Amino acid sequence: MSNRTRRIVNTNLGEPGMKRYAYYLSCINEAMTKEVDRSIDLWQKDLDIEFVKMHESVCCGGSNLDYVSPKHFALVNARNIAMAEKLGLDLVTSCNTCLLTIRSAKQKLDASPELRDEVNGILKKEGLEYKGTSEVRHLLWVLVEDVGLDTLRQKVKVPLSNYKIAPFYGCHILRPSTVLGKDNPLEPTTLDLVIDALGGKTIEYEHKNKCCGFHTLLVAEEESLNVAAEALKEAIDRNADFIVTPCPLCHTVLDGYQSKALKQANINKSIPVFHLSEMVGLALGYTPRQLGIKRHIVGGKA
Amino acid sequence: MADQKEEMRDITFRVLRFNPQVDSKPYYDDYTIPVEKGITVLRALNYIKEHVDPTVSFRAFCQAGICGSCGMRINGISKLACTTQVWDELEKCKTPNVIKVEPLRNMPQIKDLIVDMDPMVDKMKKYSNWIESTMPESKMGEKEFLIAEEEFQEYDKATDCILCASCMSECSILRANKEYVAPAILLKSYRMNADSRDGIHEKRMEALVQDHGVWDCTHCYRCQETCVKNIPIMDAIHGVREEALEMRGAKDTSGARHAEAFMDDIQKKGKLVEATLPVRTNGLGWTLTNLLPMAFKMVLKRRTPPPPPLVKPSKGIKKFREEFQEMSEHVKQDQKDRKH
Repeated sequence: MSNRTRRIVNTNLGEPGMKRYAYYLSCINEAMTKEVDRSIDLWQKDLDIEFVKMHESVCCGGSNLDYVSPKHFALVNARNIAMAEKLGLDLVTSCNTCLLTIRSAKQKLDASPELRDEVNGILKKEGLEYKGTSEVRHLLWVLVEDVGLDTLRQKVKVPLSNYKIAPFYGCHILRPSTVLGKDNPLEPTTLDLVIDALGGKTIEYEHKNKCCGFHTLLVAEEESLNVAAEALKEAIDRNADFIVTPCPLCHTVLDGYQSKALKQANINKSIPVFHLSEMVGLALGYTPRQLGIKRHIVGGKA
Repeated sequence: MADQKEEMRDITFRVLRFNPQVDSKPYYDDYTIPVEKGITVLRALNYIKEHVDPTVSFRAFCQAGICGSCGMRINGISKLACTTQVWDELEKCKTPNVIKVEPLRNMPQIKDLIVDMDPMVDKMKKYSNWIESTMPESKMGEKEFLIAEEEFQEYDKATDCILCASCMSECSILRANKEYVAPAILLKSYRMNADSRDGIHEKRMEALVQDHGVWDCTHCYRCQETCVKNIPIMDAIHGVREEALEMRGAKDTSGARHAEAFMDDIQKKGKLVEATLPVRTNGLGWTLTNLLPMAFKMVLKRRTPPPPPLVKPSKGIKKFREEFQEMSEHVKQDQKDRKH
C-alpha cells in the first residue's frame, strides 16, 4: 500500500507554486535512520515542497569510493545526478556526506570534458546523460533558501520556545568550502537560523562546527568516541535540551553511540539528539510518535 | 586620497598566559592598545611586548608568512599571526573589539603562545619523511637527477607546506589521540612518495598503514580549511590511501578493508550494507565484543534488522552492474596504458 502511494506521488506533476526536487535516497536513511525520510514525507506538502524519490539511484561512495576508484566514483555519481537532470530537478539529499561526495563528483565532472564523455559513453545505454544542469543541494539549504525563514516562521504551529537547542552541523555540509561554499565553514549560521525561525533558542558552543567522528568508528573507535564525547559533553554542560543535526551519520554517532562515548569519558548524563527533519516536524505540529522519534536510542522529552 | 584619515581604534588582545614553572594553570591577560587599520596581529603582539608587557612570549621570525613560526589560535582558529589582519578579526570577535589569542592545540605548551614542536619533528622521523635517493652513492655528482614537470605538478602544492602546525592544532583525531600521525606528516609523506627520486617508499608506507596512521583520518576537513597555504591536504591523505590500497601487503588492515567494502557493496547492491560493515572491517570477534550490546539496542529499536541482514538491491541494479563492469574494463585498460 505504502509503495503504491509513493509511486503515485512520484508521477504527480505537482500543484502550481509547489517547488519540486529530486530526492536522493541515502543508504543510512534507508537502513538505520528511517525516521529522517518518514518525517520529510509528513511535512513536505505543508511547506509547499515535494521531494520526488529517486529509487534507482545508487550509493554515492560515502567519502571512500573517490580514492578507492576515482573512475567508478565519477560514473556512479554522474548517473545519480543524470537521473535528477532527466527529471529537470535539482538533486537534494538529507545526508551531509552524500552532499559532499556527490558535489565533489560534480565538480570533477564539470571540470573535465574527457571524464564527462567517458561516463556518458557508458550511461547512454541506459538513456542517461550527465549534462551538469542540476544543482546538488542539502535539505537544510532548501529550507533556508527556497522555503525561506519567513515562511517557516509563519507555518510554525508549535513553537519550540521551551527548548534550548544545540545545533550540530557536521563537517560535510561545511568543509571543504571549495566544494560546499554555502555556509561559513568555521562559523556557520544556517542551522541556527532555522532553529530561530522555529521559535527555539540556540546554544552557542564551540563544538557546533566540529566533527562527530563517524567516519573512523570502525577503524579507530576509541578516537571517534572521544571526538563525539567532547561535543556531547559541551552541549550537556551548556544545558541544551537537545542536539539537532542535519546529518544522519552525525545522528548515528551522537545518538546510537552516545552511551558508549559518554561512558568512555566518564560522564553519567545523556542528551537527546534530533534530526533536522524531526525538529521541523515537531514545530509543524507532528507528534514524536508520527515522526519516528521513538526509534532513537537515547530517549527524552519532546 | 589625501584627506583620508588613518582609522585607529582601541582593541583588546586577550592573551592566554601560562608559565608551567610558575603557574598552576593557564589564565588570560587583557592588553588594550591603540591599533591602526592595516596592522597584523603579530605587529600588535610586538607592540604589546615592547610597550606594555615584555614577559608575553611568542615565536616570530620572518614576519611575512614564510617561516611558519607564528602559528597560534586567533579567535579560536589556528593561523599565522603575521598574515592575519586585526581588522579582519574584528568581525569574528565574540566580545566586540576583544581578540582572543591562544597557543596552538594538540602540542605541549612551553610558555604562553609557544608550543613544543618536537612531536611534529619526531613523527616526521617515525614516518621517514625525507628522500633517500634511488641513485647509488657512488654515482652521485656524476649527473643531474632530473624531474619531469608533470611529476612535479603532482606534488607542487604539497611543497608549499611551511610546517606551521596549524593543521595539527585543528585536527579532530590528533586531539583525541596524540599518537595519531597528523595531517602535516601525511602531507609530507604524500609529497615524498610521489617523488621518483625516492627509494624508501615501501618503508614509509609500511609505517603509514599501521595503527594511528593514514586510516585513522576521519575526513573532517578542518586541516584543509585552516591551512595557511591553502593546500588541499585531504587530497594528499587520499593519495596516500590510494597507494596503500595498491600496495600488496598493506591491504590487510581494517582501514583498507573498510574502504574496499564500499566498492564491493555498490557493485553488488547499489547501496552500502551497513549492518555487516563492522564484521567485514574488523572480523566477527571484534564485532561481537565491541558492538554486541549496542547492536542489541539497535535491533530492539528497529534501527537495524536482526541477522541475517538482507538488503534489497537498488531498483534497476542489473543495468547498473553492467555499467559498473564496463567502467572496470576502462580502469584495467588505464592501468595497462600506464605500464607501457
